[in-house]
Order: sequence, then structure tokens, then C-alpha cells
Amino acid sequence: MSTKKTIKVQDISSHIKQLAELNNVDFVPLPPPYDNLEELPGFKKIKEETIDKFGGGLDGVIAVGIPKPETLLEQQKVVNVFIEGLHKLFSKENNWTFLQPLTLSMEHCARCQTCSNNCPVFESSGYNEIYRPTYRAEVLRKLYFKYVKPGNPIFRTFQNGDIELNWDLIARLFELSYRCTLCRRCASSCPIGLDNGLITHELRKLFSSELGWFPKELHEKGTVQQLLVGSSTGMNSLVVKDNMEFIDEDMTEKTGIKVETKWDVEGADVLLLHNAGEILAWPENPGAFAILLDAAGISWTMSSEDIGYDGVNYGLFYDDVQLARIAKKHLDVAKKLKVKKIVMGECGHESKALGAIADRIFAGAVPRETAMTLMEQIVFSGKIKFDPAKNNFPVTLHDPCNLTRSLGVIEPQRRILRYLAPRFREMYPNGPHNYCCGGGSGFAIMSGYNFLDWRMHISGRKKFEQILQAFSDEDLYSNSPKYVCAPCSNCKGQIRDLFSFYGATAKSGLHYGGLVELIVNAMVDIKEPFINFEEM
Amino acid sequence: MILLNIFTYLTVLLFLFKILSRAIGIALSPIHLRWELYPIPHEKGKAKYGGSRLEEVDWWEKPIKKDFIGEWIYMAKEIIFLHGVRIHNKKLWWGSFPFHFALYLYAFNTILIFLGAVLSLNFINISIEKNGIGGFINYISVIIGWILSITGIIGTIILLFRRIFDKNLSLYSTASHYFNILLIGSVYISALVWLISDDNFFIHASNYFVALISFNVIEKLPAAGLIHIIISLAFILYLPFTHMTHFFTKYFTYHSVRWDDAPNVPGSDIANEVSKYLNYPVTWAAPHIGADGSKTWLAIASELPGKEVKNVN
Repeated sequence: MSTKKTIKVQDISSHIKQLAELNNVDFVPLPPPYDNLEELPGFKKIKEETIDKFGGGLDGVIAVGIPKPETLLEQQKVVNVFIEGLHKLFSKENNWTFLQPLTLSMEHCARCQTCSNNCPVFESSGYNEIYRPTYRAEVLRKLYFKYVKPGNPIFRTFQNGDIELNWDLIARLFELSYRCTLCRRCASSCPIGLDNGLITHELRKLFSSELGWFPKELHEKGTVQQLLVGSSTGMNSLVVKDNMEFIDEDMTEKTGIKVETKWDVEGADVLLLHNAGEILAWPENPGAFAILLDAAGISWTMSSEDIGYDGVNYGLFYDDVQLARIAKKHLDVAKKLKVKKIVMGECGHESKALGAIADRIFAGAVPRETAMTLMEQIVFSGKIKFDPAKNNFPVTLHDPCNLTRSLGVIEPQRRILRYLAPRFREMYPNGPHNYCCGGGSGFAIMSGYNFLDWRMHISGRKKFEQILQAFSDEDLYSNSPKYVCAPCSNCKGQIRDLFSFYGATAKSGLHYGGLVELIVNAMVDIKEPFINFEEM
Repeated sequence: MILLNIFTYLTVLLFLFKILSRAIGIALSPIHLRWELYPIPHEKGKAKYGGSRLEEVDWWEKPIKKDFIGEWIYMAKEIIFLHGVRIHNKKLWWGSFPFHFALYLYAFNTILIFLGAVLSLNFINISIEKNGIGGFINYISVIIGWILSITGIIGTIILLFRRIFDKNLSLYSTASHYFNILLIGSVYISALVWLISDDNFFIHASNYFVALISFNVIEKLPAAGLIHIIISLAFILYLPFTHMTHFFTKYFTYHSVRWDDAPNVPGSDIANEVSKYLNYPVTWAAPHIGADGSKTWLAIASELPGKEVKNVN
């Protein structure tokens, strides 16, 4: 039975144990054969003592969590630091990076809720009020007009209402800032041009940069590890070279073609910068790139310098300083190697962080382009022979938000698929109007407590539904292979988890992978199938 | 009626001051990091499917081709027809479109009435019975007046109804949201009352502008006209202090944020501005930032994170 209740913006400050309830009867139903609630995995309940420890419960889910200070005095200290941070968020010295769009979004919302209809999290949850894109935005807006731009208190309350700032609000707002994938679908639909995704991004920044609060997966195991060790995977330079050597040997054995990753080639045309997660989780991806680039006669290299072999930049999701630190290292490495350009591997957030966001920080940097364009150039160059019949299985394409909505890279990957995948079909909506995989903004690597359940049941629901619909003309009760092409490491991680959670590979034959694997699979010179569904 | 003269001049001056200072403030705020959102209508040949120049190999070696007509068409559809609301929130559009369209007609009619005043000052008869430009403008203005007031009232009723009874809206509405609709609605209602009650609506309205232009005391107006003008001035006075300034800030949200895809080229305005920002002192307090109030943004971005890192879970 549904447990949904009306929740007001001001309720975020209330001292009740938990603000919202999640119940899978409220969630938007999935298409067959995943429409029987009783057959679907449940939602892991968190122990009472854990909820008590973190206090200020939001929705019974913990993505980040922050232990509740024991005394009121300590709680008040947090409130004071938060107010300090709020002022800094709206100062040009600390936040010139996003001050203008943030202020515009704070001051001009008409509360028309047009954006709400476009949020996959809000919709999938069965319209749970706290996930409405304007909910957290409205909390920040009320705080902005109360503390940063107060004016006359009567007029302010008349215009924007009031809100009580206390520990409960801060703890819940922190948690709530990790219930949005920053897919920016809401922003696409705002008639005024405002951006609730940006507001979430800025909230995360405030918590990280002022209070030192962040998910450990993004910060300690993410940006800090990358800056101190060389990669967010924990691989240092020696380990990454070892791993790539292993991949080279594996690929050589698999394809019969000598594969050898190039390292630190000065003056190469292309510095290939993978998301290092590929090397560990999907080694066939960097392997396929090596095969393809060599076959096309491209002068390319990878860098073995710290950070130069990992294109990940989780700073994009929560902290501008961390973003800039990593981007600077990427650009320094490319400059030192004197390469003509950086080609960013199949990773959406890397492409956005390095391709567009960092562009405004460091002028005159080495030019960057996404792997999609280079792959298209190679495929249609005539240098390699392809046999599209080798990809004779159903293929659909997932559009990573950072590649499409944020960068406008839409057609290169499609032109390749239309040519090399005879049974390619779109999912709808697609391109810049796509739905997020549900693992965006770092969620794909966050699974603490019961957060995995949340991203499987809620943030990834719409994508799973889309995938099922894309293959609705196939037999979804059979495990005959169907391939979801997801040219993004983060999205692949989320889709992997979705297929595993719903048992979709065994039940419906759903598989996933990148674009380059499909290209190499269609190469005439590769005798054995590069994509082996039995091994996937 | 000298008070009405003063009220009008002060209202217009304050309105212009507030709007201009706000626009200048936004325009002069720091250039932000790129945060564009596709489709971008000026992407020549690619806007239709949401593509960008980043789809091209070695895109930086190619000239940037912008389709400004595409931008204008997009903006025209958005401003006049509220295209975004129509596509994404049709239920609201049925109220929002007539409500806003009536405001555009109102602004247009104000220009017509102003023209009538200019003609009067040049001794051209603007009576509706007269042939010629004066009579024609009078005729058109009355028709537009009827259309705008009725359309506006319909929009007001629908919007008010939705604000009150649609939980999606009422949960996020403050007193001002209802007040704003009612205030604009009363502009439309009072316009309709003036039109109904005054056969010489256009001449009286033009006389108001004649007095303002020529710095003469405003002549006696019909009661309905006086009430309408006072309500309209109150709205103009109130507008710059509200979120309704989105009527012009929308220019910035689209052109300076959503569609701002300009690359950072050495020696460009962007590069010069950003180089200034990189010297701003940072005061963020989290240990990993390593700020001390004097270290600059660039210095901090060039350092490794501070050693003391808090773990929150």
C-alpha cells in the first residue's frame, strides 16, 4: 500500500525521524517481464541504530550520511559554518566559476514546475515530493533570500516564504544533494532557462568546500586518491603499465594481431586518455582502442605519468577546486608530451570536464576531442575493412548525458552504428533529450548502505524501462543476446549493476558494452568474434 | 492630477533604474565555466538534432559558424508562444499563454497610445470618426484593448485556479504568487472596465501621454481610466523587485549560460577575464582546499589537496 504523504519545503527542518517513505508500490511499473512486484528485488532497510546515528533521516536511504553531533552547541556550530559557506557560495572570489548562472537560477524561478515533468528520479519514484527538482532548489532559494540577500523581512517572506535553518535541514539537504544525477533534463525544459541541476551541483560544492563533507567514493577514493596516487582506481604508474601489458597480451592472443600499447611517445598525434576504470573493469575497451588506432595507422600514445593515464575527474560532480587540480594535471601531461591533441576515451564526464568545463580555466591548452569523432573518422576513412554482418544482433544506443546534452556529440556514434550494426534501433527519447542511466554524477561508484537499491529502483528505473522498450520487438523472455551500446564508463557501471540487479542478462539476454568493441567486432581482419556474449 | 504626473515619472524612472542596474550587474558578473545545454540553436546545420561543432574532428581548426536566425526563431517561439511551457507543461500553458500574450498586447497597445499622443501634439486628429492615421490607430488600439483584456482575464482565471487547486503549484506558492496573478489580472479587468465605460478611451489615454510628454498637468480622466493607470503604475513599480524580471533576465539565462559555448582562446576576452579571476583570494574553509585567505585560486588549483581529510561515513 502506498505510504506517500504531502511534504512541504519547510518540513525539511522538522525534527521527525524520517521525512519521506519509499515504497515500491509507488514506483512507476516496469514493462514485462519485470512487471511483477513480487518477483523484483526488495529495498534493503537500514538498521534503526544506523538511522539514529545519522539523524535527520531523509528517505531511509543513506548515500553519504553525516553523524549527528551530540550536543546542541555542536549542531549550532555546523549551522554557523553552513551560513559562512552560503555567503562564500555567492561570492565571486570563491565561486566565480558558477556565480552568474547560480544567481540567475536563485532569483527568477516562477515555481511553474515545468521542470518536474522531466525529472526521471521524480517520475520513477512515483512523484515522491522530496525528489522534485525544485524541492532542494527551493530550500536553497529560501536560505539565499534569508541569509545572503535578506532585504526587508516582511517583503522577503511575502516573496519567498521562510524556512528554519537547523541541523536537520543541513543533514537532509546534504543527503538530498545526492539524490539527483545532475542529468540536467530539468534544465532543458525550464522555459526561463534556469537550472536545478546546477543548484544541486552548487549545494554539493558548498558542503565539500566549506564543511569538508563529501561522499568518500568521490573524494577520498576519488579525487584525492587520483591526485596523490595517480588514479582514482588506486593504480600507480607501474601498475597501470603492468595491467595494460596484460591487456595487450590478452588481445594479441584473442585476435591474432600484435597489440602493443604505446607509452609516452613525444610528439604523437593523439594522447589517448581513458577512464582508468576501463582498464580494470572492461579491459576489452582499451584493448579495442589499441587495435583500432594501430589498424588505422594513427600516431598515438598513452601517458604513464601520474594522472596522465586516468581521465576521470570526479571534481566535476562536487568540487571546483578538485576539478581544476585534476584538469590542470591532464593538460600539463599533454603539453609535456607535445601531443597534437588529447582524445578522451569512452567516458562522458571526462569529456565534459576536460572538453568543455576546464576550457575556461586554462587558456591555450592542448586541444581535446571525444573518441566518438576519431572513431567516426577511422570507420569511414576506408583504411579498415568491415563486415557489418558480424554484428548481426539487436543493438541499441544509450546516450550519456555528458556527451549529448552537455556537449552536443550526437551523430558520430549513430553514423557508426547505422553502418556497422544492421539491427541497430534507437531508444526513445534520445540524443539531447535522453534519460540518464541513473548512475550519473558519480552514483555509479556509490553503493554504500542501501544506496545501490535506490539507484536500481529509482534513478536507473527509467533507463531500464527504455532499454526494455528498445528491445520490445525481440523476445525478452529469451536470453538471446541483445547489446546496449553505452559509450561511457560511468554509464556502463550503472547498466552493469541494473542488469545484475534485475537478472536481465540471464532472463532477457541483455548485455552491454562500449562502441569501440562493436567496431572491432566488425573488422574483417579479426577472425574470432571480439564480442563474446558467453564471456560477458 | 499633479500627483499622477509625479507618480508616473517616479515609477518610470525607478523601473528603468532598477532594470538597468540589474541588467548591468548580471552582465558584469564573472564569466562562468562552460555550462551549455544542447540543442543550441546557433549550431549551424546541427541544431535540429542537438549536435555541436564538437562532433567534428579537429573542430578547433575550423571556423565557428553561427546561425543567428536559428537563435531568433527559437527566441521568438519561446517569448511569443511560450514554446517550452507548451511542450513540457501543457496544462499550465492554457493559462500561461493567454496571460503572457495579453501582456505583450498591452505593451504594444501602450506604444499605439503613445503614438496617438505624438500625433495629437502634431495637431493630427485621433478621433475614431476621422479617416487617416489618427483614426486608424484609435480603431486598432480599441480592438487590441478588448482582445488583451479578455484574453488576460481568461489567463488570470486559469492561472489562479491552477495555483490554488493544483498541489504541484500550491505547495511551492507563497503569498506573492497569488498576489502577482491578481495584480496583473486587475490590470486586465480595469482595462476592460475602462473600455466598456468610456467611448473615448483612446483619446483619454493619449491625453495622459500628451501631458506627460509636454510636462503639463494631466487632465481629468474618467474614473475607470484613472484606476487602470494607477494599478498599471503600481505593477510597473513592483515588477523589478520580483522574480518576474525574468522577462529580461531570460536573455542572460539563454545567451550567457545555456547557449554560451564560446571556447577559451588565448588573448581573447574570456582568457583575459579568467586570468583576473585566477588571482582572486580563496577563503573556502574545508581542509582539502588549503585556502588561507591570501592564496589565489590558481595557486590552490596548482597544489595537491590538504592532508587533513575528513571522512563523513
